[in-house]
Amino acid sequence: MGRIGDVRAGVLVVDGHTSFRTFARRLLVAEGFDVVGEAANGASALSAAGALRSDVVLLDVQLPDVDGFRVALELASHEPPPAVVLVSSRARSDYGSRVDASRAVGFLTKADLNGAALARVLNLPCAG
Amino acid sequence: MRRLTGAVVAAAGLAAGAGACVALVWGGYTTPPDLVGPTLALALAVGWSFVGVGVLAWLRRPDSWTGPLMVLLGLAWFARFVVAVATPAGFVAGVLVGSVYLSVLVHLVVTFPTGRLASRAERVVVVAAYLLSAPLDLAFLLLGASRGIADGPPPNGLVITTSTTAFSFDPDPVDLVVQTVILAVFVAVLVLTLRRWRRAGAAQRRVLGPGVWGGVVVIATIMMQRTVFLLVLPATARIVFTWAAQVVLVVWPVVLLAGVLRSRLDRSAVGAMMTEIGTGLAPLQDVLARTLRDPSVLLAYWLADRQVCVDAHGVPLAVGGDGRALAYLERDGVRLAVLEYDAALADEPELVRAVAAGASLAVENERLQAEIRAQLREVQASRARIVEAADAARRRVERDLHDGAQQRLVAVALALKLARRQLSRAAPEEVAALLDQAGGELSSALDELRELARGIYPVLLSDAGLGPALDALAARSPVPATVVAAPARRLPGPVEQTAYFVVSEALANAAKHARAGEVRVAVSDEGGLLVVEVADDGVGGADASGSGLRGLADRVAAAAGTLEINSPAGVGTRLRACLRSAGDRVTPGPEQGQPGDGTARPGEL
Repeated sequence: MGRIGDVRAGVLVVDGHTSFRTFARRLLVAEGFDVVGEAANGASALSAAGALRSDVVLLDVQLPDVDGFRVALELASHEPPPAVVLVSSRARSDYGSRVDASRAVGFLTKADLNGAALARVLNLPCAG
Repeated sequence: MRRLTGAVVAAAGLAAGAGACVALVWGGYTTPPDLVGPTLALALAVGWSFVGVGVLAWLRRPDSWTGPLMVLLGLAWFARFVVAVATPAGFVAGVLVGSVYLSVLVHLVVTFPTGRLASRAERVVVVAAYLLSAPLDLAFLLLGASRGIADGPPPNGLVITTSTTAFSFDPDPVDLVVQTVILAVFVAVLVLTLRRWRRAGAAQRRVLGPGVWGGVVVIATIMMQRTVFLLVLPATARIVFTWAAQVVLVVWPVVLLAGVLRSRLDRSAVGAMMTEIGTGLAPLQDVLARTLRDPSVLLAYWLADRQVCVDAHGVPLAVGGDGRALAYLERDGVRLAVLEYDAALADEPELVRAVAAGASLAVENERLQAEIRAQLREVQASRARIVEAADAARRRVERDLHDGAQQRLVAVALALKLARRQLSRAAPEEVAALLDQAGGELSSALDELRELARGIYPVLLSDAGLGPALDALAARSPVPATVVAAPARRLPGPVEQTAYFVVSEALANAAKHARAGEVRVAVSDEGGLLVVEVADDGVGGADASGSGLRGLADRVAAAAGTLEINSPAGVGTRLRACLRSAGDRVTPGPEQGQPGDGTARPGEL
């Protein structure tokens, strides 16, 4: 799990809350992902995604500075574009059709986050 | 002016006219016989019309100087004829008063219709006009010997005739200068008049119209006559213009008479107004505008309890201003409305008074409607603000939940997942640390939820009443706060909630904006009135129209209370809310009424 081809997927965690970033990083690392960086807002997320060339961006929808959907749109123009997975403490239905309309590959509620769920959203072979 | 005085003045005018005739016919100079008749007819027409109309205007408008000025003009006109008495004294007197009537004419036109000098420019022109008559003629008399006219025949002007001497272009330079100055004064009169006309409103133009335009025609004719003299045109042309100048002098007072009589017609319009008000078909303001013939008339209803004027739709407005006059509509000494009108109508105070008195009989009904509309607008506005405030509060609760407790619970969920995964793989200490972290996040989440719930509704208020709830509120206040007085008994729920809300908002403001060091809270409950006072020692200068205090005022108004905010800069802020503590409801005190019987339960937020 956590591998794209032969390479471990590099994940960037973007969220305004330190506690979420810390636990998400520890959980994902424990489950075989390679967390390459953290960002606390949209602006630093965009520059970190460019610099780290991360494969996956775990992106909170409600960032302190900009709307997560706009960050997702910007990230889609990166070359190569990272796979964006939106996360929120709200439910997917709270955002109506905005998740479907976005360029993100999937959506996870924060409490449901773990390696398996992320792998499923990313269509990675699940090693359990 | 009393009627007797009027009769005396009129008699003096008649005598002056008779004297002028006597002087011209038997004064001692020879006059062409065929010219005596027309000259006397015109002279008497001009003089008597000014005196006659002047006396009438004086009687009708004792507060205006126009009447006396017209009488003076007529008398000055006749006084010129003293020059026809063939003695040196007659000649001197005649020369001195010969052109005084023109100065009075300038005075009259410039100051019409009040007869009062209103500006510096008007004063300059009128003073110049007087200096150009008797004083200048006196100077000429003193120099007269050198000009060779001291023993001459009566100068032209009384009898209009072709000069017997051959016409020659040889004007004296002094004459030219004097005539130029006189022309300049006349031009200034025209300029002043035009300026006044351009600035005048409809009502003012109606008052100014006949007097001012008639005056302009007179002045313009005299100017042409003078210009003709200045340009030294043939003598035949001079005769035409001199006759014309005298004919328009007769017409002008007659025009003014029409204006004086018109006001009398306006009075009968008050009767028509009362009939129209009785039908109640047209808005009162329109009826008043029509009666006063001033389309700019504004009727503002006075709302004593709010200390504002509103229009018929209840919209607050400011009355008064430049060129506007006010009349108060009162009934039994109570002010009901304010009538704002063109200041030009102030020349017809009796008319305005009559209209105001008539309208005050009908105004009460419209004022009540305006008051109700004003209240309705205020209620609609405050209702919208209250809904908006409730929405904003709900948004704030959602955001607080999302950013606070929800994030902590997310962290707990992730920590537990991680702990479960590490259970078999990591050291027990590491798992224990994870569980501790989860526990810490959980208790923080509980704290935040508790705080949030208290913000939504203080349960202590419904359980224990205002006193304990305020004590708890003061204890949690970031700025040290003391509750120095609070009612011991329970009050109706809405009253307790409103009082609590006032103190809570005031404490929040003291912490957020006032930079206060201390806040004192005092709630007194006397004679069915609950007075909530919160005073801080902060920077003051609170904005009562800001959304926070506005919302507080709405909240207090919804409980039929009043809110006063006294916040001088540098002195601190004192907030005082008065609420009816008895209200229409039964007050469930601790010994009567049961908790939870519904009468005093708090409603929704």
